[in-house]
Amino acid sequence: MTAAEQQELVMFLERDQLVFDTSRPVGRLELSRRMSIALWALRVFVVVVSAMVIYTFVSQLTQ
Amino acid sequence: MTPPPPVSIDATIAGDGTIALPRPPLTPEDAARSHDRFRVHNARRNGRRWTLLWLLVGPGILAMLGENDGPSMISYATTGATYGLGFFLPFILLTFAMAIVCQEMCMRIGAVTHRGYGQLVLERFGPIWGWFSAGDLILTNLVTLIAEFVAIRIGLSFFHIGAGVAALLGIVLVVFTLSGGRYWRWERIVLGMAVFNGLFLVAAVLTKPNWGTVGHGLVTASPFPGGSFNTLLLLVASTIGATVTPWMIFFQQSASADKGLTPSDLKHGRYDTIAGGVLAAVFGCGALIAGAALFGHGGSSIQGLSGAGFPGALRHVSGNAVATVFALGLIEAGAVAILTISASTGYAVGECIGVAHSFNNSTRKATVFYGANVGAAAIAAAIILIPGAPLLSIALNANVLATVLLPVALVFLIMLANDRELMGRWVNKASTNWVAGVIVVFISLCGAAYGVDSFLQTVHIV
Repeated sequence: MTAAEQQELVMFLERDQLVFDTSRPVGRLELSRRMSIALWALRVFVVVVSAMVIYTFVSQLTQ
Repeated sequence: MTPPPPVSIDATIAGDGTIALPRPPLTPEDAARSHDRFRVHNARRNGRRWTLLWLLVGPGILAMLGENDGPSMISYATTGATYGLGFFLPFILLTFAMAIVCQEMCMRIGAVTHRGYGQLVLERFGPIWGWFSAGDLILTNLVTLIAEFVAIRIGLSFFHIGAGVAALLGIVLVVFTLSGGRYWRWERIVLGMAVFNGLFLVAAVLTKPNWGTVGHGLVTASPFPGGSFNTLLLLVASTIGATVTPWMIFFQQSASADKGLTPSDLKHGRYDTIAGGVLAAVFGCGALIAGAALFGHGGSSIQGLSGAGFPGALRHVSGNAVATVFALGLIEAGAVAILTISASTGYAVGECIGVAHSFNNSTRKATVFYGANVGAAAIAAAIILIPGAPLLSIALNANVLATVLLPVALVFLIMLANDRELMGRWVNKASTNWVAGVIVVFISLCGAAYGVDSFLQTVHIV
């Protein structure tokens, strides 16, 4: 592809839309202590309920 | 005085004094996406509104109709067969309204950041949360994909075609749609197939329901279901899981980025999402109305779905035409969902590992993305070949598991949609946050209620 063709193509994309740009990681967000605790609490809640659902499902299979 | 921007040593100064930053290398993926954007640019410049809409719709409709998948339609039909017309008709509309709120956020984040959900969670909140999200997705996707093959198997078994063909059909479809190396091609093929989700509406009309009863149920949400509380919770959780799921979040955000949507396309992205939600709600209600034909004919005890199941039961009550249309609908629902759910798996794996994850790449360039796509479908296909698998149970529990795991995904979605550093002026409005918060609490409570109640019953505490 010639430089002119590349230039023509690239003008229809936003600069931050190029693979070159999207493959660069965005910065890490610093979570507050309260937010971290809340997220971990939600995570534990979800794991516990999932385990209950899976246990029930497996029990139904073996009945 | 504002300091001048830092300039790379590769930058050049043009004759008019403007600074030209060095052009990054253009990949084949960029070139393919740019061709699609060229058409959007032309349609917008020439004021061709319908062409513009046609070019920009896709991810929203596919996410919504993809979620009107095999287990969802079986879940709706089971609800209709168990409780008849009433509470669940407006409940389906409510759940799709919730889905529209969530999916609009996905579309907006994808269009503004040009990054998928998995990539953003991993980079913004760290690898632990990123891999938790991807793990949840892969688990629910595998279970759901099994249920999709189950749906195809149920549909094909009505025509006396075996499980082997169902497994082969799904795999061939995935491989066929992936060949071509273009997002646009993949999207249009799957959209073309998704149109046939309307078969469930046809099936509903053919059952000749009492439209007055349908209207009464829609307006009054009555009669309220009676009977077993646990069955009701299962069907409520299953119905939620039939409309809002983790894979939809991954899929629509990644597909919006892969399609090349930008902030200037947000209005059309919303049209796309709302159109998908409305179509999916109408077709979902169609499945429920068709299933309700079995209410009063032993519908609540239909468990023999490992054989002809629903289509077979419908043939006895409503005739061969309804049964045939319903069976074809199940095949379509399963097939479209296999394609979209496999795609969401591919996106998630590619984004989390940090390798190429676009349909605009060749298979050689994006081996992991395409491999995850086909691999997920192949594992699910292999499992349905196991004789005596509890098909209805898998189908319903796939949705419930998705409901239970959804709150975490939604919380991260809301956090990303409020991240001003990423989203700029496109962050959530306060009203959107309120609605999204209520949705998270509602879904968490429904999932937990079923999980805890079922568990206590299983261990014989209640």
